[in-house]
Amino acid sequence: MSELIKKTIRCPNCKHVFTITGLPGEIKKVVCPNCYTIGKIVFEKSKDIAISVSHLTKIYGDLIAVDDISFEVKRGEVFAFLGPNGAGKTTTVEMIESIRKPTKGLIKIFGKDISKSFSEIKERIGVLPQEFKSFERLTVRETLEYFSSLFNKHIEISKSLKEMNLEGEKDKLYKDLSGGLKQRVGVAIALVNDPDIIFLDEPTTGLDPKARREVWDVISNLKRQGKTIFLTTHYMEEAEYLADHVAIIHKGKIIAEGTVDELIQRYGKGNTLHINGNPKVYEFLKEKGFNVEISRNNGVTMHILRYSDILEVLSLLKDNNIEYDSIDIRCPNLEEVFLTLTGAKLLEGTI
Amino acid sequence: MNPRFIFYDVYANLKQWFRNRSSVFWSLLFPILLILLFGSIFSGSNDITYTIAIQDLDDSTYSHLLIDILENISIIDIKNVDKNENITSYMLDNDLPAAIVIPNGFGEDLNDIILNPISTTNLSFYYDPARGDTVDVIKTVLQSTLYEINMQLTGGRKIIGLNEKIAAGENLSYIDFFLPGMIGFTIMTSSIYGSIERNTKYRKNGILRKLLTTPVNKTEWLLAKMLFMLFLSFLSTIIILIVGWIVFNLHVHLDIFTVILVISTSFLFSGIGMIISRFVKEEETADMAGGAITFPMMFLAGTFFPLEIMPEFLQMFAKILPLYYVNEGFRNAMIYMDIDKTLYFTGFVVLFAIIFFIIGAILINWREE
Ligand SMILES: Nc1ncnc2c1ncn2[C@@H]1O[C@H](COP(=O)(O)OP(=O)(O)OP(=O)(O)O)[C@@H](O)[C@H]1O
Ligand SMILES: [Mg+2]
Repeated sequence: MSELIKKTIRCPNCKHVFTITGLPGEIKKVVCPNCYTIGKIVFEKSKDIAISVSHLTKIYGDLIAVDDISFEVKRGEVFAFLGPNGAGKTTTVEMIESIRKPTKGLIKIFGKDISKSFSEIKERIGVLPQEFKSFERLTVRETLEYFSSLFNKHIEISKSLKEMNLEGEKDKLYKDLSGGLKQRVGVAIALVNDPDIIFLDEPTTGLDPKARREVWDVISNLKRQGKTIFLTTHYMEEAEYLADHVAIIHKGKIIAEGTVDELIQRYGKGNTLHINGNPKVYEFLKEKGFNVEISRNNGVTMHILRYSDILEVLSLLKDNNIEYDSIDIRCPNLEEVFLTLTGAKLLEGTI
Repeated sequence: MNPRFIFYDVYANLKQWFRNRSSVFWSLLFPILLILLFGSIFSGSNDITYTIAIQDLDDSTYSHLLIDILENISIIDIKNVDKNENITSYMLDNDLPAAIVIPNGFGEDLNDIILNPISTTNLSFYYDPARGDTVDVIKTVLQSTLYEINMQLTGGRKIIGLNEKIAAGENLSYIDFFLPGMIGFTIMTSSIYGSIERNTKYRKNGILRKLLTTPVNKTEWLLAKMLFMLFLSFLSTIIILIVGWIVFNLHVHLDIFTVILVISTSFLFSGIGMIISRFVKEEETADMAGGAITFPMMFLAGTFFPLEIMPEFLQMFAKILPLYYVNEGFRNAMIYMDIDKTLYFTGFVVLFAIIFFIIGAILINWREE
């Protein structure tokens, strides 16, 4: 049963990419063949893997919607599939949920090939499809009762209402709920069978910030209970806030993968200092030999290599009586990672 | 099979249906309104007078006297029928519920009886059993009138009686024709639109995709939905029949064929709904496609008007419409009681139901491409 696992790794030091193999559960010492940096690699036991996807491809006519992607989702983690509209998120997640048929590739859930044994897996997964809308004229409680009648195993409705903070709404008709509440009911529906893996396809799209927060709290709560969560989103804050592991998908390909910190470290350009409100600042700092760029609103952006740079710049401005409106220091985020990787914005407009 | 799901699904559908005023309107109130409307337009006057025919074969003083007395009863209108007419044909031709024939020799008999009151003489009373309630009223009025005459003549002993004769025939009014058609039409619309809604709206809203990830299968789902649709179809049928009975005093014959027809009509049009929504994915467009199928059928399949009044080519066309077979099936089973035709039309409806439902069930796919 114990098959050899092949891993592709990128040396954190020299960014060299190479592959090694090992047995499930094995912890291996590895040496980068390029720069001889030494590190440790853990080969997860296969039971630690909730979902494994290899060489998954979906082709629609001329369009390769999902292009030969491979990844693994560990048990108990929040795995965020982050990408812009049309990147192939829904296509991928619906192939994993056995709603769409892959053109090519292998998907395993708890080590079982879903093309053969999906019916056993159904009791163990909970799904919230993208833009899901439930029956208009059932109350929240009736809705949960309805969906729980689909499964052998199901949780108590009253407990679910309490956990999802829906008790006050339990007798309202679904159609009369706000968008945020509808989504929360959607998540509650995905949980009626007490699943081990929960798939949430853009659960907060179209919600106002407050409603989005509430859904995030629900997801954090689930993670605390040890559930595995497969989340697709095009909001980078959502991935940053919730995800243990992020895969960035763009035009059907996974272009980067790792923890949020890893991604930012690898693809971010470091912290930046922003000085706003006076165009003269740019001229002045440039003259003094700093590497600055013009940004919006007469602002100036400068990459910070050492924190002493900040003090130096500010005291120079003070000494020369150059005024400005405000300053701020920005850390890089996934948005920047995405920009670096694709040259495009993750989401046009603000969120 | 998951009986818990099937039970809950039927229950949830009932609730949703009941909470949706427009669905209650279209499947119950609308047919009732149509029946009342068409029924009163085409059923002629509804005065509280009853017209009966009288044929005086005796033509004596006594018979003239009797006719005078009857003519004075305010709620009875008398139509005198010529001696040579066949009384039952006259009744049927003139759409009359009852007729009295005064037999030849009535006057002489009465003369004898008054002198020697030991026997009775009888009038013949013809009636149409299909119009039971009307006939009952007329009979009561006649009997109390005769009772009074008897009282006057002999102090209570019965000397004039009624000899009842049934005059049944295909004496059908518009409502007899229309009401079975209305049942077929109502089941057709609620089945087609219900099926379209389930397969377009639920697809768009992700409910069908969600179901794919749960243990329920398409057979259980279809079974639950059809149980609900059957409930609705029987409910509509019963309510239409009750309205027909209360308002138009329509008595229909109910037997196993009616039940088979209600069931197969529900399956037939649910199947057509599934086929439509397989090809037209948008709910509004699919509804329009449903309308494009039901609307012409409503007029061309003999729901409102008998096919005979339509041009030849339209009559030919009607025979390819499933609703035509449904309408004729219901009419023959409930009204005409023609067993051969009932079998013929019901057979076609069952056959169509099997074909369309199976095609629909195969075509409809929860999966995404
Ligand atoms: N059934 C289909 N037929 C043809 N093309 C499709 C189909 N489904 C998806 N696509 C295409 O595949 C690509 C990926 O779509 P997908 O819905 O997976 O994107 P997504 O990342 O979920 O986007 P969004 O954020 O808008 O939900 C898109 O270009 C889309 O137009
Ligand atoms: Mg999507």
